[in-house]
Amino acid sequence: MDNLFLKRIQSLSDRLSYIQDIFAGKHADSVSLLQQKLDEFTDKATHDSLEKPYEELVSLEDLFKYVEARLDASITPMDKVRIVRHPQRICLKDILENVYDNFTEVGGQDEHSLDPSMLIARAVIIRRRGKKRYIQSVMVIGQEKGHGAEFRNGGSVKPWGNAKARQFMRVAETEGIPIHTYIFTPGSYPIEDYPGAAQQIARNIYCMAGLRVPVISVISEGGSGGAEAIGLADRRLMLSDGYYSVISPEGAAAIEGHCRGGERPSQELVEKCAMNLKITAEDNLRFGYIDKIIQEPPLGARSYHFDFFRQLRQEVIRATDEVILSTKLSPFKNIALSRRNKPDVNLDEMYLRWGLSSSAKDRLLKKRQNKFLKLSKQAAVDRRPMLTKAIHAMDEIITTPWMQFKYEFYRKHQRKIHAFLEEAENEWDVFKSWLRKPFGKGGTGTGKNKEDKSSELTTLSSWTGEHKHNKWNYLSPRYKIDQAVTCPNAAVYGCPDLWGPDLFAEFAGVCSNCGYHFPMEPEWYVRNVFDKGSVMEFNSEIESGNPLEYPGFGDSIKAAQEKTGCKSGCMTFEARIDNTKLVVAMLMGTFRGGSFGAAEGYKFVEAAQRASKNRYPFLAYVHGTAGIRIQEGTNGVIQMPRCTIAVRRYIENGGLYMVLYDTNSFAGPVASFLGCSPYQFAVRSSNIGFAGPGVIKSTTGMDVPPKYHRCYRALTRGHIQGVWDRRQIRNNLIQALQTIGGRNLYYR
Amino acid sequence: METPSETSLHDHRVLVGNRGEIAIRIMQACCKLGIPFTAIYTPEDRESAHVRFALDHGKEHALYRVSSYHDANELMAVADISGCTSVHPGYGFFAEDFRFARRVTKRDRKMIFLGPSWKIIRELGDKINTKRLARSLGVPTVPGSDRPIYDEMEAENIAEDVFDFQLQQGIEHPLVLIKASAGGGGMGIEEVDDIDQFRSVYRRIRNYAARQFKDEGVLIEQRVTDFNHLEVQIIGDRSGKNPVHFGTRNCSIQSTGRQKRLEVAPGFDPTVNEYSFDSDKVLESIVQYSLTMAREVGYDSVGTWEWIVTRKGDPFLMEVNTRIQVENGVSARIARIKGRDDVDLIAEQIRTGLGEPLGYTQEDITFDGVALEYRLIAEAPDNNFTPWVGTIDRLRWKEHPWLSVYTQVPKAAYSIPTEFDPNLALAIVWAPNLNELKERGLTFLNELVLQGHNAAGEPMENNIAYLKEKTGQILKF
Amino acid sequence: MLNISDLLEQIKQTPYREIVVSTPHTGVVNFASIKSGDAVHGPEGQWKERPGTKLATLTRERNPKPIFAPEKGVIDTVHMEYENTFVECGCPLVTIKHHLTREEVESIILKQALYLFRAPERAKYYFTPEIAAKLRASDPGSVVIHDGQELFIMSRMKRELPLYYSGPEGVIYATYFKTNENVDTDAPLIGVCPQEELPNIKEVIMRVQTEWQENA
Repeated sequence: MDNLFLKRIQSLSDRLSYIQDIFAGKHADSVSLLQQKLDEFTDKATHDSLEKPYEELVSLEDLFKYVEARLDASITPMDKVRIVRHPQRICLKDILENVYDNFTEVGGQDEHSLDPSMLIARAVIIRRRGKKRYIQSVMVIGQEKGHGAEFRNGGSVKPWGNAKARQFMRVAETEGIPIHTYIFTPGSYPIEDYPGAAQQIARNIYCMAGLRVPVISVISEGGSGGAEAIGLADRRLMLSDGYYSVISPEGAAAIEGHCRGGERPSQELVEKCAMNLKITAEDNLRFGYIDKIIQEPPLGARSYHFDFFRQLRQEVIRATDEVILSTKLSPFKNIALSRRNKPDVNLDEMYLRWGLSSSAKDRLLKKRQNKFLKLSKQAAVDRRPMLTKAIHAMDEIITTPWMQFKYEFYRKHQRKIHAFLEEAENEWDVFKSWLRKPFGKGGTGTGKNKEDKSSELTTLSSWTGEHKHNKWNYLSPRYKIDQAVTCPNAAVYGCPDLWGPDLFAEFAGVCSNCGYHFPMEPEWYVRNVFDKGSVMEFNSEIESGNPLEYPGFGDSIKAAQEKTGCKSGCMTFEARIDNTKLVVAMLMGTFRGGSFGAAEGYKFVEAAQRASKNRYPFLAYVHGTAGIRIQEGTNGVIQMPRCTIAVRRYIENGGLYMVLYDTNSFAGPVASFLGCSPYQFAVRSSNIGFAGPGVIKSTTGMDVPPKYHRCYRALTRGHIQGVWDRRQIRNNLIQALQTIGGRNLYYR
Repeated sequence: METPSETSLHDHRVLVGNRGEIAIRIMQACCKLGIPFTAIYTPEDRESAHVRFALDHGKEHALYRVSSYHDANELMAVADISGCTSVHPGYGFFAEDFRFARRVTKRDRKMIFLGPSWKIIRELGDKINTKRLARSLGVPTVPGSDRPIYDEMEAENIAEDVFDFQLQQGIEHPLVLIKASAGGGGMGIEEVDDIDQFRSVYRRIRNYAARQFKDEGVLIEQRVTDFNHLEVQIIGDRSGKNPVHFGTRNCSIQSTGRQKRLEVAPGFDPTVNEYSFDSDKVLESIVQYSLTMAREVGYDSVGTWEWIVTRKGDPFLMEVNTRIQVENGVSARIARIKGRDDVDLIAEQIRTGLGEPLGYTQEDITFDGVALEYRLIAEAPDNNFTPWVGTIDRLRWKEHPWLSVYTQVPKAAYSIPTEFDPNLALAIVWAPNLNELKERGLTFLNELVLQGHNAAGEPMENNIAYLKEKTGQILKF
Repeated sequence: MLNISDLLEQIKQTPYREIVVSTPHTGVVNFASIKSGDAVHGPEGQWKERPGTKLATLTRERNPKPIFAPEKGVIDTVHMEYENTFVECGCPLVTIKHHLTREEVESIILKQALYLFRAPERAKYYFTPEIAAKLRASDPGSVVIHDGQELFIMSRMKRELPLYYSGPEGVIYATYFKTNENVDTDAPLIGVCPQEELPNIKEVIMRVQTEWQENA
């Protein structure tokens, strides 16, 4: 027997073990049938008793093909999870070799890389028009699983790996070449070493929200934050056996099953979660979070599926062409587009220049941003009356131009007038003092007579102003409970037990011995930080829903709404602080742990837009957030790029965006629209990070030190800019507005 | 809470929230009034005579060991288990802690705080507030600001004015005091003798205050040097309507750390000493000013108005101590209520605190003779009053009808706990006039036996010689 | 020179230490389900972040506070007579028989080998801020001190006094006092090892590590 023959037998054996792996014990009859046939064949082959070896081999291969096709029809979401994680799954190196015509790795080589799980290459695609060959460059960025090679860390990227990705996105932007990203990640590696998992992902998303080159992404395994780190694209393609999810099904099951300390959820529960989370390509296409599905061969693409690579090549070229064309104002645009979507078209023989003019880049960006901003509205429950919505829409149309006039024209000139008046006044003062000179010191400040002076020093002065009244407007209801409370730092600092009524009222929840901050209610901040009576909530009618119809979750949301009296975990309001108006989005840790879903994202985006329109500073006060609401699946994940885009637009319009973290802030929101703020502060005793200690332990096997997520570490790392005492939040905000916002607060 | 008319003193139980000498005196007062008590002690204090006293004179629930006198939770837990209806804080610890008083009266199982109501403690515990209250009533205070100053220009103007003011008053070396308004206990205070230094010192204090107290406000005052430290003893009942005074005290003899060592009542004695001012008039004015303020706030317990009197006889109100003081006995010793000479201000505080009316007016209070109080302390006056640590072997004195000694030092050997001030005993001496008082004082000190040794076997240090030396100077300006 | 073998033999005669767990303050005691003979463990984890076995709950002012076993061992006695009663501060609840660990044996032997600087008076002791910062920042056994150096702050009777080190120059090898706790006169504060003797100390530790068997 020749080598090729043996190789083909080996290949069948690989396919069989692959089937066994991805179905994890299911379809035992099919598996045993194949096993039996293969064993018989191999047995005969080794004894040379095959009559027509090649024909028999082909018929066995056909059997495999048949069974695979049949099994493919009954594939479950969890099977897909196993497919994308299988070592035989195609990986980025395969794609570089088979989809592109040539490439040079620029992000390191194999294990000699800042982070071998993030692969970056400059690749070329050669296209022809007639006899002329055109070489088109792209920047390829993606996670590399390396067929299970350990040093690739399963495509779980460390913070510096994502930083590397961002660096080369910037390079591509400078060079004006498209970026193709390939997402093969179960999620980012949740460690807080510099620059910090969350912080770096936030930077990446913020960067991609404004990249001035086309970005195409292809999703195979789209694990939450790790996927978003390179996933904000003009076109998002997804492989048919891929998954795109807020959390691994195992992680969801561990939460669902209330598993603690390394306990594993049952396989059944995991399957159920995979189903409920709606993680497949079809689901995501239906939601609108991806643009197209690329069909894979039965049971998923593997390295030898060369047809698939050809197809993938066509798809990424088409997607890039479409993005380029969509920015053109050319009358031939539509013809070109429809030509590219004809069946059997060969894009290799159709050339389109991938460079863009500056104005086309503007259109590209606007299109990308608008596309994301429009997403996921259907996943929230908007109970605003029709009239309100209509007025809101009208308001947009009427006031936006007026505001633009007011701020861009009138303000500018107003300042000039002020400057003129000021100067005139100064001159007048000088003139006045010159007039008075001959009359001696009589009229000036030193003229107070002696009695006045001594009486000022010995009799009651008038004292008005804020410092005199130092009482809280709102007290935590816990102050009514006659109970002693132990400070968590008692063992270290010897804090005596505090009396609840003192602690939760006068002390504002701060240990009088060590300064530890006990968590307070969101109302405490609303009422004590902003000017009394100045808080005006808006969009309170936008409610959290159950977009995935996740079993039982509708009731949980209702229970949370009843408990908190709020309709979602995000309250948005306008308020004044020391008479400066600002827009605040508050993420409340009391509403399902402050988890962030479509309704919260909707409100956050609207708040950013409102701040932008009215030229107010925008504050995200994070009372607490546990991350993206997993029961909303990708409806939640998509809020990461969405809200980041809203924030980026606001900042680029000249806005002042500040973030203040309190209690515990973790995962998605920190890794996107919160972490991207240039000015982030934290309240003392708060924790900030990407994943909690339990998740870190289960994903990395690492024990984390007790104070791993303390805000002071985030400060040392450079993630946040300062740590504030709760009792000083108001004063610090006033100062921050004055010093960071400057005299004109908004609009540089 | 039951109204006083329905309940007699005997239905109450007092938690003695203190240690040492004052704990003994509170317990003695309770015995005198027929009120049961519960005392506490820490492991450090197990040898203290106050523990012995509680065991000897208390009945059930007389004594509990607690982890700390500073932990309010311990006091509350003991009070609940022993059925106390009221808490006497003594002096120090929780005596002027309005939060503690508030907790005692506001918790689910309410008790009486034997001291002023918590609002009064809070009001008078705030120096700015006290100063403003005084000024609103025309009571003289130290010249300077009476509210925190946040503006540098304003601060500088006030400082200039304070300098000018002192020059007008004929003060040769004017001094200005800058202190963090939120501070206390000597932290964040500096004096300036030159206006040119002011700005830098001001900024230093302001930054310190912002860091330390999260409040940039500063007070700017005249720094009064050359003065006598006087006090007016006030007591009022729970009606808060008719406070009376128990005369004045002079507490000018103090250690370098501004700790009192020898107190005399009354505050001045013009029959023996000469003053550059009309001392009777000064004493009368500070008494009346103090009463005016006490009436204004509805003062409802014992308290002390602290004054400084300059060499020219100008009084300035310094602060109000809303507690019974160490030296209360010296005022009690010269006072007579309706002619009786067994005045006990602590018993009066407990009795009125529990709701009994005062039962007498200012006319019923008379004064007879002079008295002084020595504080016997294990310390080295020559060495900056450094506390001495060791064991007391013997503390003996000769009894005299004119002498009373209060001490927690037991007859047996006693090692001084290191947690607290090394006060050993208070001795109160009475005499019909100042010259005899000095003689009797010296007699007492000469007869006193105080011996001890430390770990190294060295004899103990004490302040007897210092007190002897100072006895000659009492009530001299 | 120290006879380590003798010392080890001596310790091996009674390799136990009795730990009395008593109440840190007043309150009502409720024991966890423990009994004499139960094995308990002390704080565990790389950073001792997981507390030891829960022995009892002490409730004061409606604030229940768990009391945990401080070390690994076997429960000797449980003072069940206090169950559900109000107790004073310092009331013994549980006695634990604790088999000495290697570190404890090391510490006992090191106390013989190191120069001990002792407390001159009963007081609370603190390192001066500079030394405290150095100790925090550097590896154990690398902070060098010399005779006459201001090393401690001695706090008693509301006064704080500097305390100067006297003894041979060397590194601070062991610290025997706890912040906020009183130290009796003559109790050792720190153990100092002259730098040239560090190898000897290392040898002591090696010996203990090879010769001392911890019971499993």
